[in-house]
Amino acid sequence: MFQKILIANRGEIAVRIIRACREMGIQTVAVYSEADKEALHTMLADEAVCIGPAASAESYLDMERILSACVTMKADAIHPGFGFLSENARFAELCEKCNIRFIGPSAEIINKMGNKSEARKTMIQAGVPVVPGSKEPVFTAEEGLKIAKEVGFPVMIKASSGGGGKGMRVSRSEEDFEANFRNAQMESIKGFSDHTMYIERFVENPRHIEFQILADHFGNVIHLGERDCSIQRRHQKVLEEAPSAAISESLRTEMGATAVRAAKAVGYENAGTIEFLLDKNQNYYFMEMNTRIQVEHPVTEAVTDMDLIKEQIRIAAGEPISVKQEDVKIVGHAIECRINAENPEKNFMPCPGVITELHLPGGRGVRVDTAVYHHYKIPANYDSMILKLIVHDKDRESAIAKMRSALGELVIEGIETNLDFQYQILSEPDFEAGNVDTDYISTHFPEYCK
Amino acid sequence: MLKNMFKKTYTKIDTKYRAPEKEIEQDETPEESPQVPAGLWKKCNKCGKPIYTEDVRANFYICPKCGGYFRVKAYRRIEMVADVGTFEEWDQEMEISNPLDFPGYEKKLEAAREKTKLNEAIVTGRVQIGGYPAVIGVCDARFLMSSMGHNVGEKITRAVERATEEKVPVILFACSGGARMQEGMISLMQMAKTSAALKRHHDAGQLFVSVLTDPTTGGVTASFAMLGDIILAEPGALIGFAGPRVIEQTIGQKLPEGFQKAEFLLEHGFIDKIVKREEMKETLAQILKLHGGVKMEETAEKNIEEEAKVVDKVGSMIRSAWDSVLLSRKSDRLVASDYINALFDDFMEFHGDRYYKDDGAVIGGIASFHGIPVTVIGQEKGKTTKENIFRNFGMPSPDGYRKALRLMKQAETFGRPIICFVDTPGAFCGIEAEERGQGEAIARNLFEMSALKVPVLSIVIGEGGSGGALAMAVANEVWMMEHAIYSVLSPEGFASILWKDSKRASEAAKVMKITAKELKELGMIEQVIPEEEPASLETLPVIKEILDQKMQKFMEIWGQMDGDALAASRYDRFRHY
Repeated sequence: MFQKILIANRGEIAVRIIRACREMGIQTVAVYSEADKEALHTMLADEAVCIGPAASAESYLDMERILSACVTMKADAIHPGFGFLSENARFAELCEKCNIRFIGPSAEIINKMGNKSEARKTMIQAGVPVVPGSKEPVFTAEEGLKIAKEVGFPVMIKASSGGGGKGMRVSRSEEDFEANFRNAQMESIKGFSDHTMYIERFVENPRHIEFQILADHFGNVIHLGERDCSIQRRHQKVLEEAPSAAISESLRTEMGATAVRAAKAVGYENAGTIEFLLDKNQNYYFMEMNTRIQVEHPVTEAVTDMDLIKEQIRIAAGEPISVKQEDVKIVGHAIECRINAENPEKNFMPCPGVITELHLPGGRGVRVDTAVYHHYKIPANYDSMILKLIVHDKDRESAIAKMRSALGELVIEGIETNLDFQYQILSEPDFEAGNVDTDYISTHFPEYCK
Repeated sequence: MLKNMFKKTYTKIDTKYRAPEKEIEQDETPEESPQVPAGLWKKCNKCGKPIYTEDVRANFYICPKCGGYFRVKAYRRIEMVADVGTFEEWDQEMEISNPLDFPGYEKKLEAAREKTKLNEAIVTGRVQIGGYPAVIGVCDARFLMSSMGHNVGEKITRAVERATEEKVPVILFACSGGARMQEGMISLMQMAKTSAALKRHHDAGQLFVSVLTDPTTGGVTASFAMLGDIILAEPGALIGFAGPRVIEQTIGQKLPEGFQKAEFLLEHGFIDKIVKREEMKETLAQILKLHGGVKMEETAEKNIEEEAKVVDKVGSMIRSAWDSVLLSRKSDRLVASDYINALFDDFMEFHGDRYYKDDGAVIGGIASFHGIPVTVIGQEKGKTTKENIFRNFGMPSPDGYRKALRLMKQAETFGRPIICFVDTPGAFCGIEAEERGQGEAIARNLFEMSALKVPVLSIVIGEGGSGGALAMAVANEVWMMEHAIYSVLSPEGFASILWKDSKRASEAAKVMKITAKELKELGMIEQVIPEEEPASLETLPVIKEILDQKMQKFMEIWGQMDGDALAASRYDRFRHY
């Protein structure tokens, strides 16, 4: 087991990792930027090293400085958290070269999963369902229609160089295909001077379902059930829950097995997440694999009664996973709300500043992961997520009630937050009924989505 | 502070798991503590930041942090531009030459050979770049600062002579401190020797591309490095005759920021183009391609028949002469670069007059028209106010005309047709323009253009302002866009001189006969290019089609004539006025 771990991150996740290390009797080294001198992770760690100015590129993203700090402080492993260098293959590779254990998968696997088309190929080979579509680019409406018929309508017509909705059209039938294809292609030619198109099945109103997996050095791979992260704003997750209201026990078993197969196919090691799109007819398609710990990992921890960070550390130290698949039991229901320093009224503009008043909720089944404290000054340089509120209760209804109560008790003064917005989400009848998909926020809160 | 209140982690609890004894033995590699292995990083000598050695190698020896360029070893440079496995080295073994019996020189050479594993400061040979053959020479600064002594001069000269003989282009990557002092006068003679070889190569109609890298100074700058038909440079490279330190000591002044850098030379007209290292191979390949004399593609002939129909539409909307004047100056009117981008492939802009400056009002370079390499030159007004200012509203300075002429002479050397786009209110009138000889520059163009031995086509696309326009319109054929004007003077000027009232410009426009239609009737131009709707980005596709067809026909007719006939025909065209 490691003697000392350096945490190459900041904010609540750095604090979360330091806590796990403390519990395991492992010493911790925090790295911090000049803006984070008074951050909680800096103070809570046994040792702390300043690695540069506030700008991430010169501190939390500066591999040389972090590795130098690690060598100087004689830490034998680095936990990258999420964001920053967590999915940077080069960093993982450099750690290895410097004889430092990177708590996560190997550089090779990070690379493999980071490359979308290669990941897709690997998954097809492993028999994991992917969104059906053209493997080769298409250039004419005739070719496109042939493929559209093969994959089945509705289809998404996508420009190879497209982005931000440009060069994208949904075609629902043979009749409107040609017009849509031409429009999308024209847009692409005008916008990107490129007429290369792809056709794939359009997954309508999907849910975002992801499976947590753990894999160790001994080839053991288990899944810890799913998380439903459908509540998103501009592809940013806002609220997550486990288990998903849309997934039956048998579907969980099936998708879990698929996720395990996917992880095995790439020879995965450590904690990872397989993301799927789930349509209304319970068809699911592989989207991507995240090769790091996720923000929303606490909901899985709550329903499985496991500590994922500790598992990560153990696996990286060459130990086996602490449980077997058959011992994993999903108990009750957990919800996580991400509290961000942002103003929903002003298009969710980040609102850094000083916290003048703070009260954190508590009680049975309430967990707060945060790095803020009374009078803490939130720096403007980093992500606006400042707190995660996680509740766990016997079923979804109770969990929603508990979350509402806890949100009601949470007081953060001095800055704007999305606390009320979260409260509104939880109060919608559709949410209560479990009718959510990735368009939930844009359809239920159009006033916030201008 | 909270910091002092938190209890530290002192005890080690460890986990319940104990690895089986056997496995520990298997994995019992001597555990090393974390450390950064030597050579994993080096320090950038530009920004001082640590950089990952592999990154530098993979990134064309450019610092990933500050973008600074490191010097490159000769063989690595060749690897970076040559097609894999195509390099064949010449004159690898040269005997040490010490013409002055300079004491210690041989020892120094031996040491340099030992250090660099090179025989001399330059590597020469044959390569292919993008499939096109070339003779290449690359200086290596590690070898006595790549100074030019007998062996360096000899290797270059041999390579050039062989290239001339085999009719292959030459590419030299220059990087040098100058002449090799230890070889005295012999070293000085290398400047003359290499230059003479390049002159023969040039006279044989063969291409020489010089690539200047950091640093190119002294006798190398004053000989082969500056003689390229096309001179490229790497960003930020120091290029000069006298070194900056010598200049500072001589004049007793501090030199300005950026002095003698590649960008400075570009601005002063001595470099055609600054090329980033990662784009060097592609750029060289394109240059070689455009100097390879590719045959014209079979283009859709059916289009030519349709042409008649299109042409009939000329003047479908009757407009007054004054309307044309206003249209020719309209801010959304197509400018030269619009035509260039629409009509040609692979346009590569070249800069500078090789005397003093690069004039923004004239753009020019090489491109491909249906597979035929051509030289394209245009008077450019720009589109936005910022561009207008940079382009001086399309009013060329003498440097602009000299750049145009330089590119035309270059076209003549390589037998490329020339297409000029004329669009200027007139040659720039200002102090500097007179100081540098505006009149001389225009006159020189009329003089030289009259005898160019390649087809010349000039198209007046907007304003054809007097001598400033004519200096790019001594062509075999002159065409005008329907709403372009071509005049000896602006209608305003005309009205104010003749009638002492510039407000009567619209009247003047009528009597001056300056519209395309009138000039066609007068026999001043060969063709009017119809603008059913006034030329703008919307109508560009239609105009492009028409011009494309007509230009193909032009190439077909004039492309078959020999050089003397072309010059004679041009002479006659202007003789009869």
